[in-house]
Amino acid sequence: MDLATLIFWIIAFVLVGSALLGVIQRNIVHSALALILFFAMASGIYLLLNAEFIAIVQILIYAGAVAVLILFALMLTRTSNIQVNSNPNGKLRWLALPICALVAAGIIFATSISPLVTTATSNLVPYGGKGVCAIPPNNVIYIGELLYSPTCYSYVLPFEIASVVLLVAIMGAIVIGRED
Amino acid sequence: MGLTLNHFLVLGALLFCIGLYGALAKRNAIAVLMGIEIMLNAVNITMVGFSFFNQVRPYSTFLTGQIFAIFIITVAAAEAAVALAMIIAIYRRRSTVDVGEIDMMKW
Amino acid sequence: MALYEYSWLILLAPLFAFAVIVFGTRFWDLLSRPRVAAATTHAEVHAVAEHGAGGETHAEHESDVELIETTGPHGEKIILENDEDPKVPQLTPGARWSGYLGVIIIALACLYSWLILLASAGALPGVPPLPPGGINLSAISYTWLQQSTASYVIDFRLNNLAIAMMVVVTTISLLVQFYSQGYMENSAGYARFFAYLSLFAFSMLMIVFAANFLVIFIGWELVGLSSYLLIGFWINKKAKPAEDRLSPASASIEAFIANRVGDVGFLIGIMILFVNTGTFNFADLAGPASNPFSVAHNFANNQALLTIAMILVFCGAIGKSAQIPLQVWLPPAMEGPTPVSALIHAATMVAAGVYMVAVTFPLFATAGPAAFGVVAWIGGITALFAATIGLVQRDFKRVLAFSTISQLGYMFVGLGVAGPLYGPGPGMFHLFTHAFFKALLFLGAGSVLYALHHAMHREVQDMRLMGGLAKYMPITAITWLIATLSISGFPFFAGFYSKDTIISLAFNQGDYALWAITLLTAGFTAFYMLRAYILAFGGKGGGFGGLWGGTYRGTGEPHESPITITLPLILLAIASIVAGYWTGFFSYIQPGAPNLDIPMILNDAVATPVGALSVILALAGFVWAYILYTRFELASIDAFVQSHAVLRALHRIVLNKFYVDEFYDLLIRYVVLGISHIEQAFDTYVVDGLVNGTARLVVTLGRDLRYIETGRVQTYMVGIFGGIVVLIIFVFVLVNFVK
Repeated sequence: MDLATLIFWIIAFVLVGSALLGVIQRNIVHSALALILFFAMASGIYLLLNAEFIAIVQILIYAGAVAVLILFALMLTRTSNIQVNSNPNGKLRWLALPICALVAAGIIFATSISPLVTTATSNLVPYGGKGVCAIPPNNVIYIGELLYSPTCYSYVLPFEIASVVLLVAIMGAIVIGRED
Repeated sequence: MGLTLNHFLVLGALLFCIGLYGALAKRNAIAVLMGIEIMLNAVNITMVGFSFFNQVRPYSTFLTGQIFAIFIITVAAAEAAVALAMIIAIYRRRSTVDVGEIDMMKW
Repeated sequence: MALYEYSWLILLAPLFAFAVIVFGTRFWDLLSRPRVAAATTHAEVHAVAEHGAGGETHAEHESDVELIETTGPHGEKIILENDEDPKVPQLTPGARWSGYLGVIIIALACLYSWLILLASAGALPGVPPLPPGGINLSAISYTWLQQSTASYVIDFRLNNLAIAMMVVVTTISLLVQFYSQGYMENSAGYARFFAYLSLFAFSMLMIVFAANFLVIFIGWELVGLSSYLLIGFWINKKAKPAEDRLSPASASIEAFIANRVGDVGFLIGIMILFVNTGTFNFADLAGPASNPFSVAHNFANNQALLTIAMILVFCGAIGKSAQIPLQVWLPPAMEGPTPVSALIHAATMVAAGVYMVAVTFPLFATAGPAAFGVVAWIGGITALFAATIGLVQRDFKRVLAFSTISQLGYMFVGLGVAGPLYGPGPGMFHLFTHAFFKALLFLGAGSVLYALHHAMHREVQDMRLMGGLAKYMPITAITWLIATLSISGFPFFAGFYSKDTIISLAFNQGDYALWAITLLTAGFTAFYMLRAYILAFGGKGGGFGGLWGGTYRGTGEPHESPITITLPLILLAIASIVAGYWTGFFSYIQPGAPNLDIPMILNDAVATPVGALSVILALAGFVWAYILYTRFELASIDAFVQSHAVLRALHRIVLNKFYVDEFYDLLIRYVVLGISHIEQAFDTYVVDGLVNGTARLVVTLGRDLRYIETGRVQTYMVGIFGGIVVLIIFVFVLVNFVK
């Protein structure tokens, strides 16, 4: 077993464990903290997959902003007894368990019967588009070029739309969350 | 054994279903939201995995999986913001965040 | 030949009369009813009611019937006895013209039909007789529906058999309509009566002229309808349970329903024939085996089915001609006016069954001996059955009703035993003579009832209140006596020839049981007819040894009826004697049949023991009735019967018509209505249950399914992912287990 695989297995166990803790805990604040650990471990997975930019963005956005937002919301919607019944289980628990298990089994079954090529290479070839662009040296520049480049192949349009989405979300959150 | 795509896909599937359980079986609205975040992250892992293992040409050259993951993160953040604003608004009105109590659209 | 070609005018003339009366003269009548001032005293009321009754004077009387005054449909004052037909003191011109129109048209039809009869018998110089198969009246034929496999046409034809029947129908119709002008003179429904009589004539002629089963069935049902309308003519009359009499409304319904029960069998028989041969036409069905539509061709190796079909067709005749087991409607049908009884239930409508069997005679002949056997035996049993019931009846018209049933049985025996040589000849000959003397008997009875009504001021039909009427009503008595002698088979009268032919045919064909039945029935017929005559017209102490006059057991003073009533009686009496002397009848109906050999018959009656037996039995019946009823008082005969247990029991059984009516009542009440209750339960629980249950199911589903919409998002998500799970399982199964 080489180093990458070892690290993968460790991170995977912690990932699954923290996710489980996140959905099982009775104290919701503990649950939120387990979620933060989850985000951090997911970032590790991205690093394993040579996606440095995504890893950093994951920490920044998820562990930094979303988790804090969740904790703020928990603070503002405090129930009386945080320790015991702030994260109770619903009546659908018994129905949800087999459903989730079967969905997981189904997805795993689907992946197992698909003809996937299992080569762990990342040999990229120069890509075309409006001009022939060279492969950028590292992941951040690559993603930057993919998001913004006017000449090579780029995802500029979705980027702009995403910014509109963010604008709308900001306005929506403000309007919904107002006091009056 | 080397890392194969299957590892990451199975990991993604497991995390997705754990998140699904959290979304279906919890009564606190914020817990449901946390379950949804877990689901989205699982999807991200799967996307980036596909992008790394060059399975889908030519999109692997364009790092489509990673770009997709960026946009998922973006939208997830926006959605979390709006959802939490709604939960706070409901809390102000009803003093509860129990999703079992919010059923005005029932029969 | 044009004489024959235009014979469809005879068919349509009564229909024309019906239309003109209903839409013309009756309308005129209703519009022109006079509005008279109300009569105030009882005497005035009675005088007004009796005014138009031929101008007879009345002695003072005691009336125990209630007279009530009511208002008619147009505000005119009407006086009526509380159980009868509304009367008017004077007929309006509209009503009178209804009568005249009906009589004139039927007279023209009668004249034309006699001309055709004479021409087809070869008695008119210059006009050839009909061709052997008859002619098709294509002028009024109409194709109703034309399919690729079958065609349904309204088709009429004229042949010798039809001419013989047509003459009977038009003649009796003419005499009855003429008679009704006097009999129904005060009736407020006078115009309606003539309309119905014309409708009946049309329907009966439709049966006579029919060329296929479709048309004969239409005519069959129309005749049933006319009978219903005519029996129930006095619609407001109440039942008289003391005399065991129904109301006319009930009687008309009973008649119609009994007819319909027979029609079920008739229709099924027609359908069987049609399915196997593809045609309804009589000529085609009766054709030789080379004709692809004939029964000889299509039933060649399935004679049993043809026998069944013909027996079912005969069921229609059982219903129409009141044979066992459907004879129950004819005695109550006497509730209709007496002219109706004469026309329909003596001479024509009930003879329609006989006519139909005569028309389909070749089909019966092809069908095997069982078909004719059924016809003959049902006829024979009915004849004996009805004759025994007629022995003890007290109601004047009811005796005649049972006599009709019995004589119709004779006709069917005649059809059944005739064999291929004689064809329908003997049965039709008895129908021919019977029409005249039975119509005479009924019209004479009507004359008696008319006179007694005026004498006693109420409706009297019980023979125990009559007696010795011969000295008051000589013409009626003489004609009735002639008819009695004729029906009993007294030599030299018409009935003798027709009955004797049938009796000797039964003997010659070897049917000894039927022969014995017919002989016994002849004896009974003689007895009860003379009994009726003596009870009504004669009695102890009268002239001619009790045959003419005697003690009158009723009240009041009867008079002879006016000429408009007695003229038809005289004409029919002549016919009752003369009709038997048409010796060429058999060969007229069926070419090749031997003629009626009158010298031989008379010789047989005297010389051979077999031939003499029928005459002896008739005379024995006469003698016994004569001795019994002219030598003893009615009351003492009654006492004698009541004092012996066996006689009393027999008398009671026969008086109650062997309790057949009660049996049918139980049958209908428990079996028929029981089945209908079961079917009603089926309808309520199964059919309605299905329909209502579907609605209830939908409502329940809706009411219970709405709980799925809980309003909670988690529930919906469970639904989504549950569905995905189902699809996963589905795909898994497909991938792994289905190649």
